[in-house]
Amino acid sequence: MPLVLKGVMQSPVTPLKADFSPDLETFERLLDFHVRTGATAISWPHHKGESLNLTIAERKRFAEVAVRTVAGRVPVSIHVSALAVEDSIDLARHAQAIGADAIIAITPYFWNPSPQAIHDWFMRLGREVDLPIIAYNSPSYLDGVEFTGELITSLLEKLPNLVAMKEASFDSEKFLEISRAALAVRPDFSLVAGVEFLLPSIPLGGKGSYSSAGAICPNLCTRLYTSCVEGRWDEARDCQYKLSQLWQLFRDQYPSSLKGGMVIMGRPVGPTRPPLPTASDKRIAFIAEQLGELGILDSEPHGW
Amino acid sequence: MHMSTVPSAASPVFAPGLVHTPFTPFASDGGIDFERYGRLVEFHLREGADSIAVPMHAGESVSLPLAKRHRVLEFVLERVAGRVPVIAHVSESGTSMAADLARHAQQAGATAIVANVPYYWTPPQPMLVEHFAQIAAAVRLPMFVHNFPEEMGGVKFNAASAIELIERSPNFIGLVDSSLDWQYMIELLMLSRRVRPSFALLSGSEYLISAHAIGATGSFCALAGIAPKAVRRLHELCMAERYEAARPVQDAIAALRMAIKPGGVAALKAASQAMGRDCGSVQPPLSPLSEADGARLSLALSKIEMLGDEPRGW
Repeated sequence: MPLVLKGVMQSPVTPLKADFSPDLETFERLLDFHVRTGATAISWPHHKGESLNLTIAERKRFAEVAVRTVAGRVPVSIHVSALAVEDSIDLARHAQAIGADAIIAITPYFWNPSPQAIHDWFMRLGREVDLPIIAYNSPSYLDGVEFTGELITSLLEKLPNLVAMKEASFDSEKFLEISRAALAVRPDFSLVAGVEFLLPSIPLGGKGSYSSAGAICPNLCTRLYTSCVEGRWDEARDCQYKLSQLWQLFRDQYPSSLKGGMVIMGRPVGPTRPPLPTASDKRIAFIAEQLGELGILDSEPHGW
Repeated sequence: MHMSTVPSAASPVFAPGLVHTPFTPFASDGGIDFERYGRLVEFHLREGADSIAVPMHAGESVSLPLAKRHRVLEFVLERVAGRVPVIAHVSESGTSMAADLARHAQQAGATAIVANVPYYWTPPQPMLVEHFAQIAAAVRLPMFVHNFPEEMGGVKFNAASAIELIERSPNFIGLVDSSLDWQYMIELLMLSRRVRPSFALLSGSEYLISAHAIGATGSFCALAGIAPKAVRRLHELCMAERYEAARPVQDAIAALRMAIKPGGVAALKAASQAMGRDCGSVQPPLSPLSEADGARLSLALSKIEMLGDEPRGW
């Protein structure tokens, strides 16, 4: 299906059994929950989905379940970033083979790649598959490794399937530099924010966002997006302030706090793989208190 | 004009709106060129300043010895003569020195003060709170804190520290943010509304759209010295929450900022000169742009169509 990025797109967490093995059955339920509660697209496995703690074989199995379960109701993108470039290429080809709608990839991990190296990597990935590619910019998590305006211009001039960027700098100057560069070459290029920072990004031309808290409060996510696009700024501020508090809460031990919060919402998805911790009972009780104060327990769906 | 100064027992009220931050014109002997400074003040008033702040970093405050710093403020107050509020910049390394500047500002008749974190010391958060609390306690004037980690050795004034300062200092009425950090701005407004609902967020740069959407109500804009009409238009569209209409203006101003950013104040002054307002050279230790950098800047400016609509000369 054609890839239109807009609204709050969900990147599900990865359900695991008590022994940390994949829980594909709960994954199906989670995908259904997201689609039913307003996800405009599904993208898996972001870092929130513990991508780097899954084997390549496991990633392929989950990806197959995602495409099959969503079954064309909304677009599905597969995050193909892995430590080894060969693995990323393998995941990208697999995504195409199973019928995913797009792939998403971050700048390479660990090596502090130069702009030229980032350029060469995306050129290779882009030519490897016949799928739309979403580039993922996250300077704060990758020690300043990032897309510049110049780099995005040069890629867009050569790569017709580079259609969008997940822009997670959360900084107006960086967002605008990329937006100005990209739209000059490709007026229909889409910028989407990393987590639900819609209030600062939609007025700058952003099309939507991925989501941190969508498995906890899908209604709030939808309300934030709707109030932003309809220009109801007081309501948008109210929603954004709440979602920012939730982001502060969940980014601590991400995504284990999120999985802890899902227990409270009646949607348990099991532990988090080490080295990430699994939320303790004490942590879960603290999260429950916070969710209560924010009114989430009364305004959001409980259970599957 | 939508600013007001209403004294109140609890917390003074002052909404500065769009704040222009003039350059300091220097003569070739390094003295301040007050003749041109007078013309510059008129230029800013004519071109839409709701308030004027002097001498900010764009006005090379740190290169001015104390007597000249006093003189600049007194001169601007005299020339503005109450037509708009004047905000005095009182940043210093030492707390007592900053407090002295604040007292001078109050005696001279400034409407408010603004202070950055102390230069050089990279203090931890409790020391920052103490520093600002002592400056605030030295005067009755409303005080703004300017948060600009990139320019101040990475030192950030945390939102939690701002809340502590609000609780201690009734005249700490707002924060000027140049971190551009969305989460920081949101956190600051979310937390401050519980303790001081009137607390203001102002943007310390010309990236107004996101800041206003989050809840900012004004800005400090050095680029108003180069492109005052565009800056004014952006400010008004953002005040009216007309973000879609504001985007092309914001894009053009972002292009101007990116052209000037590498050269800092030297590039600001070179651009001012290119617009027909020669404010002299930057003072040591800054040096004027090299010929190559000057040529690069001219080329970049020539590609910004918006500048065609901006005033040339005084």
